[in-house]
Amino acid sequence: MMTLAIAGIGVCATGMANWAQARPILLSEAPPRLDPLPRLAPEILPPVERRRANATTRLAVSAATQAVEGMPPADVEQLATVFSSSDGDGEVLASMLAALAQPQVVLSPTLFHNSVFNAPSGYWSIGSRSSAASITVCAGTASFAAGLKEAQAQVRATGRAVLYVACDAPFPAALASFVRGALPFACALRLVPAVAASGGNHGCIDWSVRDRGTPAPEAPALELLDRFSGNAAADALPLLRCIATGRHARIALPWLDGTRLWLDYAP
Amino acid sequence: MTNACGVGTRAVQRALQSGTSGLRRNDFAPAASLATWIGRVDAVDAARMPDAFAAYDCRNNLLAQLALEQDGFVAAVHAAALRHGAERIGVFLGTTTSGILSTELAYRARAHTEAGVGELLSPEHYRRRHSLFATTEFVRAYLGLHGPAATVSTACSSSAKVFAVAARSIAAGDCDAAVVGGVDSLAMSTLFGFHSLELLSREPCRPCAVDRDGISIGEAAGFALLDPRAEALVFLKGAGESSDAFHMSSPHPDGAGAAAAMRAALADAGLGGGDIDYVSLHGTASRPNDAAEDRAVAGVFGAVTPVSSIKGWIGHTLGAAGIMGALSSELALRLKWLPATLNCVNVDPAFACTVVLQSRPMPLRRVLCNAFGFGGTNCSLVLESAA
Repeated sequence: MMTLAIAGIGVCATGMANWAQARPILLSEAPPRLDPLPRLAPEILPPVERRRANATTRLAVSAATQAVEGMPPADVEQLATVFSSSDGDGEVLASMLAALAQPQVVLSPTLFHNSVFNAPSGYWSIGSRSSAASITVCAGTASFAAGLKEAQAQVRATGRAVLYVACDAPFPAALASFVRGALPFACALRLVPAVAASGGNHGCIDWSVRDRGTPAPEAPALELLDRFSGNAAADALPLLRCIATGRHARIALPWLDGTRLWLDYAP
Repeated sequence: MTNACGVGTRAVQRALQSGTSGLRRNDFAPAASLATWIGRVDAVDAARMPDAFAAYDCRNNLLAQLALEQDGFVAAVHAAALRHGAERIGVFLGTTTSGILSTELAYRARAHTEAGVGELLSPEHYRRRHSLFATTEFVRAYLGLHGPAATVSTACSSSAKVFAVAARSIAAGDCDAAVVGGVDSLAMSTLFGFHSLELLSREPCRPCAVDRDGISIGEAAGFALLDPRAEALVFLKGAGESSDAFHMSSPHPDGAGAAAAMRAALADAGLGGGDIDYVSLHGTASRPNDAAEDRAVAGVFGAVTPVSSIKGWIGHTLGAAGIMGALSSELALRLKWLPATLNCVNVDPAFACTVVLQSRPMPLRRVLCNAFGFGGTNCSLVLESAA
């Protein structure tokens, strides 16, 4: 157990291009109006990488960039990162499978290097010039919690900040049976040891001790959860709602074997 | 440990000690047009998935099962589960492509026949065979474990990083012990993918050689049980990770990121460069990668520490490369024996490091092994012998 403070936050999803846009939607009880995202071109990436990056990379990097806003570049260059995604980039996968099914296989080198699961991590490290450790994990429908566990374990091990980025996006029609989610969602949380946190942060999280009396779970409007249903990274929505409301809460995160992990949030 | 050199550690040890490569001319039917050499595990083709795990039936999971059944591994895990409880043992595995071959073949069959692939591409097919978590989920179910789990997929450093993840998970109190490992099987996407980057050699790969001209892709599965309270012959002393922040598929030419990972591993172990007796190279036999690693290793250890790569035996096993490096280093520590760089006859004269060309006995105490990957991801491990 280790309490983490959320020192920076980023969101990039349909209807929520950034944290400022996400807050009113998270707080609203009414059915949300979610405008499609424009084509993302994260400026932190050099032009060549910006052009080559796949869709999930641009989504993840856009969220990550928001969460390091205001940090001195020298600190960003030392910032370790943990990425999670349940399914990676479906567009790249579909293009590759289609190319491999041709009688004469011709694969683009860029498509191939974009197919690695750690592509967002690789592009982010180039764009942010971060030579710190970076890892990319998945655990099916438990991917968001698995990444958060790894991020927490890293902060615990090093005593230093970790940027946690969760990102999933819909798969194209040809592979629609693989992944249920219909909308893209990425969020980024800059996590620091709670004792080291200065004022102005977004609150603290830690895994619940099960028998401790804590407030009831808090969740965003059901319509919002429904719209992002099937997107593993969007398991962050209840936590983001707590951050927006600024109230103590206990949050359930999907975990392995059909169980849930409980996360305590304190503003 | 299971790879092109054999099924089980004893078989691999025999091949290593007799200098017998497991590489062969490409005869992998889905990518038969490629003139290259591969490290294929024949026993996978004859392996059958037990009925209870039929949903997981694919080449990658069969390879995992084959390896799990070697070396008394299942029994060792069950004994650990009795000691700690099955919910206190984590499973952290590396892979780059999991069971993607099953979908590649389904896609190709559809393209040729114009028939639908129906059930083959069902959500269940994706979850249990193709998805990156499929093999970790399978191994966890096969071993009857209920602790934390994750797949690490950072290209060719994946199954080195699992050691660091497991150590952190144990330190954080999430589990008491962990199964770590890596599984990657032959697939069209990786064979054609590395071909598209002009990184495949037409001959058996020749790490560190002056005439090296690319990699040979292999398949492999390997596992280790990490248990801080168990008696063991070899211990994980430290792990170090870094990023190149340079290019998606080329290493930093000076090996700056690789050197940072090695220094971080030494610092984590509380050791200096002089404490390491041997460096097990990532050593893929790609021209730029080997050159960058040589510079990095020489920068950290100087030119005297012996170095070698096992890729000439088993090929580059991608997501399993980290665990193959770790397990072959464990073997070297137990045997007090230094493996040669098979297929390397003339070392690149530009190299500073002392590349081992003849296997020989050596009183090894500590080994550092490297695994690097696309996206500029680097991981180094320090292993120490108990005696």
